[in-house]
Amino acid sequence: MDNNDLQNLWKKVDQKIHPKSTDELNQLLHVKSRQTVNKFLMIITLDIIVCCGMLIYLMITSLNRSEDALYLINNVLLGLIIILVLFSGIYYWHKLRSDRFNYSLNKWLEVRIKILSDILTGKMSRLNMLAIPILYLLTIFSIHVYFENQLFVEVLRNEESIIGLMVGSVIGLSVGYYVVRKIRLYQLEKLEFLKELYAKLETASE
Amino acid sequence: MKSVKEEFLQIISAYQGILHKVSMVYFKDPKDREDNLQEILYQLWKSYPGLKNKNSIGSWIYAISINTSISRVKKHARIKYDEPPSDWPDQSAVPEDDMVRKESVQELLNAIYHLDEIDKTIILLYLEERSYDEIAAIVGISKSNVGVRINRAKTSLKKHLGHLNYG
Repeated sequence: MDNNDLQNLWKKVDQKIHPKSTDELNQLLHVKSRQTVNKFLMIITLDIIVCCGMLIYLMITSLNRSEDALYLINNVLLGLIIILVLFSGIYYWHKLRSDRFNYSLNKWLEVRIKILSDILTGKMSRLNMLAIPILYLLTIFSIHVYFENQLFVEVLRNEESIIGLMVGSVIGLSVGYYVVRKIRLYQLEKLEFLKELYAKLETASE
Repeated sequence: MKSVKEEFLQIISAYQGILHKVSMVYFKDPKDREDNLQEILYQLWKSYPGLKNKNSIGSWIYAISINTSISRVKKHARIKYDEPPSDWPDQSAVPEDDMVRKESVQELLNAIYHLDEIDKTIILLYLEERSYDEIAAIVGISKSNVGVRINRAKTSLKKHLGHLNYG
């Protein structure tokens, strides 16, 4: 088979294509743009609702427990971490979505790998992994101490409360880490795939 | 006067074969191809304001289409394909000559599916008769490496297509 045979054979693929009219292309673009905007709005709205809901809860419980200094510190820390985690999440999601594809394949892989590496293995990733148990413990303390109607120190001294919190923490953190690990593994697999392609191109360039 | 969107859609309409063929090379399932085509269209629209050199629209479309497709390929889904896709007509209803032709095209596609994503990209551009300079610019490797890569991919393709007789 000559080289031209391959190219001639490929030309027959054209017969398999069903071209779309300009209106159909417009419709496809319209639907995709709307889906993307809706997805973005949904994530932002959900983040804002969760963030505001938690902050309102923290404010109300803090006002009701203004005499308990440790409880106030717990809630303030929790509030700050919630804001930080949610905003960093929105920032990275937006950064990933804003990534442009109009580079050469080599350059695009380089940019994409950098963004994904920052998210998955960079400083922010380590902070997020650290934030999970802290966030969980602060939240569980905030809820438990408030509904036990005791001072923070008293709850810490109560053997039953501590055992309950420890058991709850082990179960809750295990579930939390399992979910995060699943998502992370999927994204890491994607990163590895891109790195593999990039390495192949780099080998070709040597 | 045409709006920017109308101008964009007219350009894409003229070049839409590229979108279809790139989707065909990276995805076997018709639904995945359609989704990919829609995503490419969206990425092209997003990048359109940054398109400076309108003389190289073809290269620009290839680059965005290829990068978008690769971003959507799932590593675990990179399986070897040997069966014709489900959107192909019922073979019993196709005249014999057409069937031979379509089987051959399918053989070529199956052979392409066996290549890795980089070789798929390079062989696609070669089959589309793009120049070595253009391929080098789209992929981001040197012109001499394009030649080496094309030869390697062609050898692999021919190995899979060897039993077919053309010409």
